[in-house]
Amino acid sequence: MNVARVMTVSGALATGLVLASVWSISTGAVSVPWAVIANTLFDLEGPKQDFIVMKSRLPRTVLAVLTGGALALSGAIIQALLRNALASPKVIGINSGAALAVCLAVMAGAGAAWLPLYAFAGGVVAAFIVWLGSLRRRASPARLALIGIAVGFLCDTGVDYILVTAPTYQFSAPLVWMTGSLWSRGWTDVNAVAPLLLPLGALALLISYRLDLIRLGDSPARGLGVNVPLERPLLLLLATALAAVSVAAVGALGFVGLMAPHIARQLVGGDHRGLLPVAMLTGMLLVVLADAAGRALAPPIEVSAGILTALFGAPFFIFILLTNRRGDT
Amino acid sequence: MPAAVKRGALGSGRPVAAAFIFFALVCGAALSLATGGRSDVGLGTLWALIAGQGDEIARLPMATMLDLRLPRAAVAALLGVNLSLAGLILQAVTRNPLASPGILGINQGAALGLVAALAFPGAAGLALDGMAIAGALGAGAVTFAIAGGFSGRIDPVRMVLGGVAVGAFAYGAVRFAYTLEDELARSIVRWTVGDIGDMRWSDARPLALWSLGGGVMTFLLAHRLNMMSLGEVASRGLGADPRWTLLLGAVVATALAGVSVTVAGPIAFVGLVVPHVARALFGGDHRVLVPVSAGLGAALMLCADGLSKLLAAPAEVPVGLVAALIGAPYFLYLTMFSEALE
Repeated sequence: MNVARVMTVSGALATGLVLASVWSISTGAVSVPWAVIANTLFDLEGPKQDFIVMKSRLPRTVLAVLTGGALALSGAIIQALLRNALASPKVIGINSGAALAVCLAVMAGAGAAWLPLYAFAGGVVAAFIVWLGSLRRRASPARLALIGIAVGFLCDTGVDYILVTAPTYQFSAPLVWMTGSLWSRGWTDVNAVAPLLLPLGALALLISYRLDLIRLGDSPARGLGVNVPLERPLLLLLATALAAVSVAAVGALGFVGLMAPHIARQLVGGDHRGLLPVAMLTGMLLVVLADAAGRALAPPIEVSAGILTALFGAPFFIFILLTNRRGDT
Repeated sequence: MPAAVKRGALGSGRPVAAAFIFFALVCGAALSLATGGRSDVGLGTLWALIAGQGDEIARLPMATMLDLRLPRAAVAALLGVNLSLAGLILQAVTRNPLASPGILGINQGAALGLVAALAFPGAAGLALDGMAIAGALGAGAVTFAIAGGFSGRIDPVRMVLGGVAVGAFAYGAVRFAYTLEDELARSIVRWTVGDIGDMRWSDARPLALWSLGGGVMTFLLAHRLNMMSLGEVASRGLGADPRWTLLLGAVVATALAGVSVTVAGPIAFVGLVVPHVARALFGGDHRVLVPVSAGLGAALMLCADGLSKLLAAPAEVPVGLVAALIGAPYFLYLTMFSEALE
């Protein structure tokens, strides 16, 4: 691993992330000048915009950073474990499964604090079905992605059904963001997912070197002291948790978990100790940019971040499909 | 494809087929026509109308049946015909059991063409139908290119993955356009899941012409589709150039899918499921499969329409969503177990 290169790239991405966050806070229906943002954030003298900055846009941006990083880490782990360049939490059905579970939980009257747990359960079930489907024979990477997409379709249909048949507007309004948007997200949502995402993300970064060992293959990894049959499912669970908890906050935001690891691999190569932090920063940058751009395009209208990630992510997926003839990383 | 030689569960006897389809159609139509917001309007009203006792029923129930229920049922049936025929053609020409207008991105491409026509009314210069068909053809061509269709060997799984990605992109673009048009934002949610709640005879008549034309075209293609299922080499040897079959089939299928999308939005999975059921029941001869798929598709959509009014009564579930609830599990089953994808 080229440490200097990883540090340089990370530094550049972090700078970009700070700039994107400031843009995200300043843009929208009411644009806030950068000086006012500084005044509000650091409690300086001069004009302030307490409500817009502190209550509306800052929590959104924080949430975008958290979920973008989590989705990217999840995607990087999944691609490494499945050795599948097409894989991502969305492609193997985790996002949609989590979204369906959250919808069901909201309809059953579950409190906001418990939603990440339901999302995790839904993501695990969806991933388990995909795993079962690929067990039947040694499924090719593309076949696995196909089964995951089918599971995702099924769950998306369920989400649509719940959205359309929700008995009252009070039920359906909080669910509209399930299609992948940071609209009307606040500190409650940040508080619900941050205590889970921060330790999970830190854990993923700490054990990233295990991914390199597992990638060597089953028997070399065992020789190096990795209990492969135990660690592979545990790492998959970690990836599922990262993606599913993000979904509980921002809905089924697609393609971030696919794009970020690929971009990071182009930037710093395939060594996971460098790849994971860079992928995380890339994912954060992507979601913050998608959310901010969605508000900046045609204020006061907001374009969902999920729409923008799909517009960029779908061609990206096709590109990987075309260039990766064998379908694995 | 072994399905070409296999005989279906009911054989390929025409009387059996006709009776079965007729029965399915009657059941579906009864379900669709008997259900709805007014519980006093039902099959009795329809019977009175047919028997010429129109004077004996009140005007409102009669109008409900004539102007609301009947055109809606007709649109549902015609959509079923169009989408099933499109799916049948696509599965035959690509020799891919997962091919269908929804999976290959054709429906979403049609929706994108339609939205483009609505967004730039002057620039398009084409009728809405034309733009939808152009979008459908474009999306289909991109999917086909991704699958490697223009460079020789088609990879079936790659075709489906490419189609899903093309569909995701087109659908994202549609949602993007409608987000910017504020008044349409609420209705688009229902349109994108396939809603036929407000159909009148003026919607049904043009659709019927397309279905009729498409049905005849598909029937004329049936022989070529049979050749295709024997394999491209065999098809060429028997005098049917597979490239012509592919081109003609693609044009007919995208036209049928595109017109359906202009009426009701992208309805997924009908075009996938119906040809499979038809083949399982009646074997692989497309001269039988064309009318059978049309009939089964109409019956399925009529049932879906009836269910769409019953599932969440008194509210309605868009019919496309009901169709997806039926079709999505079957799609999952196919991705897991289909041998043809190896």
